[in-house]
Amino acid sequence: MHRLRAYVIPYRVWMTTLIILPSLMILFLAITDFDLYLKGPFVFTLEGLRVFTESTIQIALMNSIKYSLLTTIIALLIGYPAAYYLANLKSAYKTFFVALIIIPVWSNMLLRIIAWEKLFFPISILNNFGISLDWIGSDKAIVVGMLSMYFPFMILPIYSVLVKLDQHLIEAARDLGANGFDTFVKVILPLSLPGIVSGVIMTLLPAMTTFALPERLGGGKVLLIGNIIEDAFMKTGNLQMGSIISVVLMIIILILFKGIMTVDKEGETLL
Amino acid sequence: MKQIVKGLLLLATVLVFVLIYFPIVVIALMSVNASSTGQTFTYFSFVWYGEIANNTLLLRAIGTTLFVAIISTTIATVVGTFVAIGINSLKRNQRLNMMVLNNVPVVNPDIVTGISLMVVFGLLPISFGINTMLIAHVFFSIPFVVLSVLPKLKELDKDLFDAAQDLGCTSLQAVVKVIVPAIKTGIITGALIAFTMSIDDFVISYFTTGSGVQNVSLWIYARLGRRNFSPAVYAYNTIVTVVTIVILLRLNYYSIKKKMRRLNQ
Repeated sequence: MHRLRAYVIPYRVWMTTLIILPSLMILFLAITDFDLYLKGPFVFTLEGLRVFTESTIQIALMNSIKYSLLTTIIALLIGYPAAYYLANLKSAYKTFFVALIIIPVWSNMLLRIIAWEKLFFPISILNNFGISLDWIGSDKAIVVGMLSMYFPFMILPIYSVLVKLDQHLIEAARDLGANGFDTFVKVILPLSLPGIVSGVIMTLLPAMTTFALPERLGGGKVLLIGNIIEDAFMKTGNLQMGSIISVVLMIIILILFKGIMTVDKEGETLL
Repeated sequence: MKQIVKGLLLLATVLVFVLIYFPIVVIALMSVNASSTGQTFTYFSFVWYGEIANNTLLLRAIGTTLFVAIISTTIATVVGTFVAIGINSLKRNQRLNMMVLNNVPVVNPDIVTGISLMVVFGLLPISFGINTMLIAHVFFSIPFVVLSVLPKLKELDKDLFDAAQDLGCTSLQAVVKVIVPAIKTGIITGALIAFTMSIDDFVISYFTTGSGVQNVSLWIYARLGRRNFSPAVYAYNTIVTVVTIVILLRLNYYSIKKKMRRLNQ
């Protein structure tokens, strides 16, 4: 067995190079005026921190928090019962129903966003059913779009924990006199916490950072931090501003990552 | 009371299915809609399915998508399997450390992975293009292979590897001939996940591509809201979705059949 440990060494080097190095580099870009492509001389400056006084940045940060929290809370409130229902389903096609949750994720996300966009315009194929929506740019459009994209990421981790739950524990609780509600609150819910934490994080982070979705469903009026980062790195070339926002994002990720690691050490709920 | 709870659970499940399948249905509908803007349904037609073959740039994007997906999945599956075997043989503490590193790209939002790779590639003397996109896809695929192989390795008898060596296998032979066949299902799942992640990737490809190289997602993004957007891509996506469903159904069918056979014995 010991000899197999050598297989890990190149992977450790590869992962360190592609994760730790760029994180430090982005931190460096945030506090200097270094040009990544010209690689000329640079000076340290905290001038870039001024972006936080700009109203566009403040609004983008607020929007990111608002939409990601709203989406995550609704996704949990609807997704948990759905995961529970699927986990307790007694059918030969159970695995098939669960696979049905994954399939939409394998369809191109940009096209799925366009599909919603088409429906949210006043003139759409919904007119054939007597419905006309004018939702582009509204909160409804963005939250419905996000729920549609991220539901699977909330449901699958919760399902994978619930389906492995030891049924004897539930029977024991019932035998000891707990009613259905007590059994759920005191036994099932605490035991499914690892799945909830994974699901929340896997929904919260993509919702906070998406840029294509607000671009289309927000009709160009709604900006999230993803849009700011994309703009800075790909369009305006203002890497310092992009990096500062990225550092903020990375701090949030670090805190959430710590959360996953405390409830699920090996990332078993991530797949 | 019990009926009400059951009803609510079913209602939540139905709501989820409606919300996640609505866009899929709309895409399928657009693929057979003769209208080129897709804002209204004009009449039923398979014209966009034929159009895939006529749109050279879309065809090239499909080619790039498949090329990157096949190469990156092959590399990620082989490397990921060996890495998982290595991680499994580590002591608990070291294994947990490695898993933290492994799970970073899984948890990280795509945009962070994208700009991170962009920054590293920007420092290196390589030009952005299909090579950088390929490296990026290998990078985000390996962790998924590791995550799907590792649980299978844990179920394995710890002495299997030593037994193979005692019987005369070299360590590589023991891995390839004994361990790999035993964890085959985990490897196949990992490869499937890697492949599907690769063909649908948009954000990471967006930040790591260059010199005009486009996969299907980048082709779509460059044409959003423009006149050169062709509904042929709806047709392409519908074909991909149907193929995935068929593959999944077959896998599910085999696993049900296997279960039946085991029950019969």
